[in-house]
Amino acid sequence: MRHEQIETNSGLMLLLILVVISIGGLVEIVPLFYINETVEQVEGVRPYTPLEQRGRDIYVREGCYLCHSQQIRPFRDEWQRYGHYSLAAESQYDHPFQWGSKRTGPDLARLGGKYSNQWHVQHLKAPRSVVPQSIMPNYPWLLETDLDYSDVAERMRALRATGVPYSVTQQEYDANVKKFGQAVADQLDINQARDSLLRQAREKDFDGIPGRITEMEALVAYLQVLGTMVDFTRYDEGFFTTFR
Amino acid sequence: MAQSSALPAEQYNYDIVRKFTIMAMVWAVIGMSVGVYIASELAWPFLNFDIPALTFGRLRPVHTTLVIFGFGGSALFATSYYVVQRTCQARLAFPWLAEFTFWGWTGGVALGALTYVSGITQGREYAEFEWPLDIAITLVWVCYFLVYVETIRRRSQPHIYVANWFYLAFILAVALLHIFNNLAVPFSLTQSYSLFSGVQDAMTQWWYGHNAVGFFLTAAFLGMMYYFVPKQAGRPVYSYRLSIIHFWALIFLYMWAGGHHLHWTSLPDWVSTLAATFSVILLMPSWGGMINGIMTLSGAWDKLRSDPIMLFLITSLSFYGMSTFEGPLMSLKSVNALSHYTDWTIGHVHSGALGWVALVSFGSFYHLFPRLYDAKLHSQTLIYVHFWLATIGIVLYITSMWVAGIGQGLMLRSFDDYGNLAYTFIETVEFMHTPYVWRALGGAFFVAGVLVMAYNLVMTVRASRREQAALEAKLAAKLAKA
Amino acid sequence: MFDWLLWFTHMENSKPLALLLFFGAFCGILIYVFTGKRRARRLESYKYIPFDDEEPRRPELHGFARDNPRARIATQSRKVMDNE
Repeated sequence: MRHEQIETNSGLMLLLILVVISIGGLVEIVPLFYINETVEQVEGVRPYTPLEQRGRDIYVREGCYLCHSQQIRPFRDEWQRYGHYSLAAESQYDHPFQWGSKRTGPDLARLGGKYSNQWHVQHLKAPRSVVPQSIMPNYPWLLETDLDYSDVAERMRALRATGVPYSVTQQEYDANVKKFGQAVADQLDINQARDSLLRQAREKDFDGIPGRITEMEALVAYLQVLGTMVDFTRYDEGFFTTFR
Repeated sequence: MAQSSALPAEQYNYDIVRKFTIMAMVWAVIGMSVGVYIASELAWPFLNFDIPALTFGRLRPVHTTLVIFGFGGSALFATSYYVVQRTCQARLAFPWLAEFTFWGWTGGVALGALTYVSGITQGREYAEFEWPLDIAITLVWVCYFLVYVETIRRRSQPHIYVANWFYLAFILAVALLHIFNNLAVPFSLTQSYSLFSGVQDAMTQWWYGHNAVGFFLTAAFLGMMYYFVPKQAGRPVYSYRLSIIHFWALIFLYMWAGGHHLHWTSLPDWVSTLAATFSVILLMPSWGGMINGIMTLSGAWDKLRSDPIMLFLITSLSFYGMSTFEGPLMSLKSVNALSHYTDWTIGHVHSGALGWVALVSFGSFYHLFPRLYDAKLHSQTLIYVHFWLATIGIVLYITSMWVAGIGQGLMLRSFDDYGNLAYTFIETVEFMHTPYVWRALGGAFFVAGVLVMAYNLVMTVRASRREQAALEAKLAAKLAKA
Repeated sequence: MFDWLLWFTHMENSKPLALLLFFGAFCGILIYVFTGKRRARRLESYKYIPFDDEEPRRPELHGFARDNPRARIATQSRKVMDNE
């Protein structure tokens, strides 16, 4: 075949271009959905509770991912600074993923439990009041705005459609009880979405304002769960490398 | 052949080219100014002013979208519509569809920016448009494809010129990437959750993200290069055969390289190793394009001294060569371990985006304007002024980002004598303040250059209008006498 | 009967095979493009396409194609060849 045949025939050219550009994606992306080792088999990783998921929505809304990563790499300095490297399993319910690409601020993959709720509230409200050299914007409106949780069930249903195991039927609920335990399964039940959101907010009071549920409440709830789901003491050192 | 004696303004549809060119300049001014502003926010955080719409997290997608899709996209629409008509010697097909692509694209980009500042975003870098805008963009893109391909089908020139291959690959690839990366489940008019999660989502996103660079910001601009460099030099491209090789190699290899954005992450090693391998091989077709462009001038290097437009075009190719060398280097796992998550990446992107994409567009626009408006450029000196402002700006930008990025990377991984971390994270933030100031200054230089260009082009158009008016008045006077 | 197809499903077989195919294709294209004097002349003649589009009324924009007689011959001979 002469190259002239391609460059004098727009249909043929389009077809060949399409073939040539499709190969890379097909080879690299499609297997990720079929190779079982891509996502590690670990216990403890569960979908976010309604309150945490609302916090995650705010995290996405404010564009936090543009300065903070959620992906710890297997290096000695990152181990010391942030903790165990991130597992694929830990973001398996993240729609969209928020691994980030830039660390203008530190990694947040294992932020949960490192600081108190009050610290987070103060830091989000006025970062420089806690860390004088910080260049993070102030987020005072998070504390002033009440959380809109009217559509939380809608959101969970959309996530369920993508494959997150939020339950609607009794059967799904039972499966969640078996997998995550009753307390968690209750929080993953779409029928109880609002109640469990209110209950978690009331019990934990992340924003330090009893009786009010602010956007801060949800965001801090989310930040406090980051990276805390897997109990790494339960696995041998070499276990996770078998998946890489 | 279609060597008609009609004026090109009548033979070809220049109206749509003019519209896109002007919009590209408008987006350049707005988008790059937003860039300088958010760069300043990082140096002086009080600039966030506690206003949600002004915070870095919401403005940064505005900057990237306006510059990549607003400025870059409009420049590509303008030049592709021009090049396809000229090299096919056919008038643009479906003029009303082309008109729709203009309003659709411009409206889409503007709405996108408005949604981001209101906090409506998909949270995917360079693909922040929410689902209704994604659908609208897809529609515009299909129309673009139809206009473009139908114009090629109506060509009176038997061959499809190289520039058009690149534009075609760009249109097809961007359609493919856009559709698959934006698969999502909507739950309200303005919100959705991505269909994929975690590692698969990450790989899809960076397959998209890297090829937004590869096809939107590289292949398509190579198409621009393949027309405007030979035209401005008055000499054909250096080697047609080299262009065949590097075209097919480039579009094949680029699609494999996205995984290098996910080195050392939870992405399986086999994918990122494969991606790094292909990224390194990619150096060859990239440099094939650069050599082909620069060598077009072989035997006529003196033009660099006498023609400021040529200066823009050749400098852009040099920056292209530089950043396509830096890219494979950064895709090596060992280098990436240092460079990833730091400002080195930001500097790398800008040496491509400012050095290559913007400069080649400016050069092409300077070539285009006199032809679109049938007038001489207002000032040659101002083109030189623009050139130096832009070049100084780029150099300030990328060197300050090397300092910030490599500096932060080295600080974060250094240990003291006892094996403890030598620096806290906040100490690296403190360290980056000075380079951040220089970076903002570099950006300001670049924007100043764009403003000079905008002034030059406005004056050119006004002169052309005046001349036209004078001509018409003369004609009217003659008619009145008769 | 179709057991031999299984051979392709093993990564250790399909990876070198893919490498062989892609590299072979690349070498093939390379050889095709850069060998043969006549083919070279033919292919290179297409690079004058951007200079075919200028209207005759503005000679100052013509540049290379107008000044260089070789370019004119090349573009004309190409047209003949397409009709072979």
